[in-house]
Amino acid sequence: MSATPMPFTVAAIRLKKIFREKWSLISWLAIPIIIMFLMSLIAGTGGGKLTGRLLVTDHDQTGVSNFIIGGFSQGPMAEIFTVKQVKEAEGQELMDAGEASAWIVLEKGFGDAVLNNQPTTIKLMKNPAQSILPQMVETSMKLLVDAASYVQVLFAKELAVLKPMLETKKFNDAELVILTLGIKKQIESLEETVFPPQLKLIEQQVEEAEDEAANITFGLLMFPGAVFMSLIFSANSLAVNIWDDASNGVIPRLASTPSALGSYFNGQILAAVAAFVLVVLVLGLFGAFYFGLPLSKLPVMMLWLVFSGLVIYLLFCLITLLMPTLKSANIVVNATTFPLLMLGGSLFPMETMPTWLATIGQFLPNGFMLKGLKDWLIRSEPMMESLLMPLIFGLVMLIVLWVVNRLLIKQLIHKV
Amino acid sequence: MIVKGKKPWQKYMIQVQALTKNYGQFTAANDIYFEVNPGEIFGLLGPNGAGKSTTINCISGLLNPSLGEIYINQSSVLSEAIKAKASLGLVPQDLALYEDLSGQENLNFWGQAYGLAGDQLKARIEAVLEQVGLTSRAKDLVSTYSGGMKRRLNFACAILHEPKALLLDEPTVGVDPQSREHLLTAVETLKEQGTAVLYTTHYMEEAERLCDRIAIIDHGKIIAIGTVDELRNKMGEKDLISLQGDFSDVESSVLAEYEVIEWQNHTVRFMAENAAGQLSGLLAKFPPRSIKQTSVQQANLESLFIKLTGRELRD
Repeated sequence: MSATPMPFTVAAIRLKKIFREKWSLISWLAIPIIIMFLMSLIAGTGGGKLTGRLLVTDHDQTGVSNFIIGGFSQGPMAEIFTVKQVKEAEGQELMDAGEASAWIVLEKGFGDAVLNNQPTTIKLMKNPAQSILPQMVETSMKLLVDAASYVQVLFAKELAVLKPMLETKKFNDAELVILTLGIKKQIESLEETVFPPQLKLIEQQVEEAEDEAANITFGLLMFPGAVFMSLIFSANSLAVNIWDDASNGVIPRLASTPSALGSYFNGQILAAVAAFVLVVLVLGLFGAFYFGLPLSKLPVMMLWLVFSGLVIYLLFCLITLLMPTLKSANIVVNATTFPLLMLGGSLFPMETMPTWLATIGQFLPNGFMLKGLKDWLIRSEPMMESLLMPLIFGLVMLIVLWVVNRLLIKQLIHKV
Repeated sequence: MIVKGKKPWQKYMIQVQALTKNYGQFTAANDIYFEVNPGEIFGLLGPNGAGKSTTINCISGLLNPSLGEIYINQSSVLSEAIKAKASLGLVPQDLALYEDLSGQENLNFWGQAYGLAGDQLKARIEAVLEQVGLTSRAKDLVSTYSGGMKRRLNFACAILHEPKALLLDEPTVGVDPQSREHLLTAVETLKEQGTAVLYTTHYMEEAERLCDRIAIIDHGKIIAIGTVDELRNKMGEKDLISLQGDFSDVESSVLAEYEVIEWQNHTVRFMAENAAGQLSGLLAKFPPRSIKQTSVQQANLESLFIKLTGRELRD
């Protein structure tokens, strides 16, 4: 009977040890779920909806500008946004502090320009640390601007009548009746064009998109980060296990056998992958049922999470193997773990972080991988657009770290 | 002199040629030569820090020598490492075991590391467990073993694959008498089976019991090599006399006709024939009350080591 390849032997031993240390395994799975629930409770939204703050600086102060702003204070938008009227300086200050989702500035003369069919500008500033809410504001503004353009084209005559009334604030009953009839007639004449079946379809899509955004709960925003937290905990523990093996004399003794240390390291990687598959399977299924994630996305999500876990594991291995002692390896890996958790979107969703922190978080390996996943999984952005760059980044990291770690593991013999 | 690329003499199972290991300015092993035949136990005797472990680590491939060549079963440890290591078993000075696995699981792992599998592995595990007296505890976690049992398991892991050459680095340090006897008997059995054994220790009595030949090593250098009898003969008929006391005011010329090994304010060591017979005359050469303690050692490895180095083996 031929011998089992050494990496599989090493992986089997490591997995046996993982399953014997039941509390370790339970903590990898339970802690992230507990933290996710606690954070949801602290945020006061439980399964509640996503909310944001919209700043408005209205230099125009006309009926038209009021109409634009009013759009965010009515209906479903009012459930999502709290509109705050601000002066220019205050708006800038709040945006700099990352305390609002978006800021709309309407310049003086905006209403006149709309009524006179002249080009005009609406300034929109978005919070880069948030994705969903600023995107909603931008989309809504585009819809309003489009609507205003159509109104300018279709109701030019009626606007010409309305304009002096608005300026003088003197409304003639007869003129208003004529105006109303004119608008009604124009709408009736456009009915066949404006409401064909294909336009109805587009309308429905917009409604669906709004529903989806409205269904993004704090818990759902935290979920992918919580799985990353579990991966980080397990990667931390598995990486330090290599130093344990060195301290226990296993690695030096293994170096005296015909089995190469490279095989030992590959075995550790295999065991880590198996552990990540387990973690991701349990938490992924939990997420799918609890948050109603689409089942069609589960396989890719799980593959992505295992891949991300592996990148994080190899990163921890690098830190561990660079350390001169087991104690220092433990200290430094733990010291690295918590910033990664906090900034990388595992303890707090990046959407809730101040801009500068979220920016740092997105440049951390776990933050980068997590953002790609959330863009695709939660925000339904195209897979290639969301995951391609993180995939390339992850693959490069994987190869470089694998090569470097295989070299570094040989140095462990001389450190113990 | 080493001739590069030339194979060693076939009869040697372990051959070390001009082994030198430097750490910066410090030389841990200095131009070491020796060889071990099949069925021979070769001892490396020396105090802690003498260079025994460095030598063992170079032979087992854990350290790359700065200079020199090492062959195991005619394969170079440097250029044919895998082949050389397949013939080698190592019992490291510190335990190298998974404490949270059972004895059997540890043996299973190390057996596979040496390429054993299936029925062969199973049979070897049973055999070595029997050999080291751990059959009844095979399924227990190593963390529940006594220190001596761990040492025995540590030894068992190294002989699973029936190596032609076995390196034992101070295998009995901190071991209870029962486990020690188990280990020494197991080593003697391996010798009878034709295994070449390199045994490092600082216990003189172990070296005298087990070793066919011994190299005494100090400061990284071999200072004497030969059979136990050959080494004893280097001492001649002289005994080693050690005096403890206050000798700060004593002239060393009082021992002019003796072979003085060490003369310090509180310790004097010298060689004398028939020491017991002339002890009273010898002591009379020293001022009254200057000597607090006297010991006489007949020629043995310990006294030879002191003669050669001026230090005790356990220093």
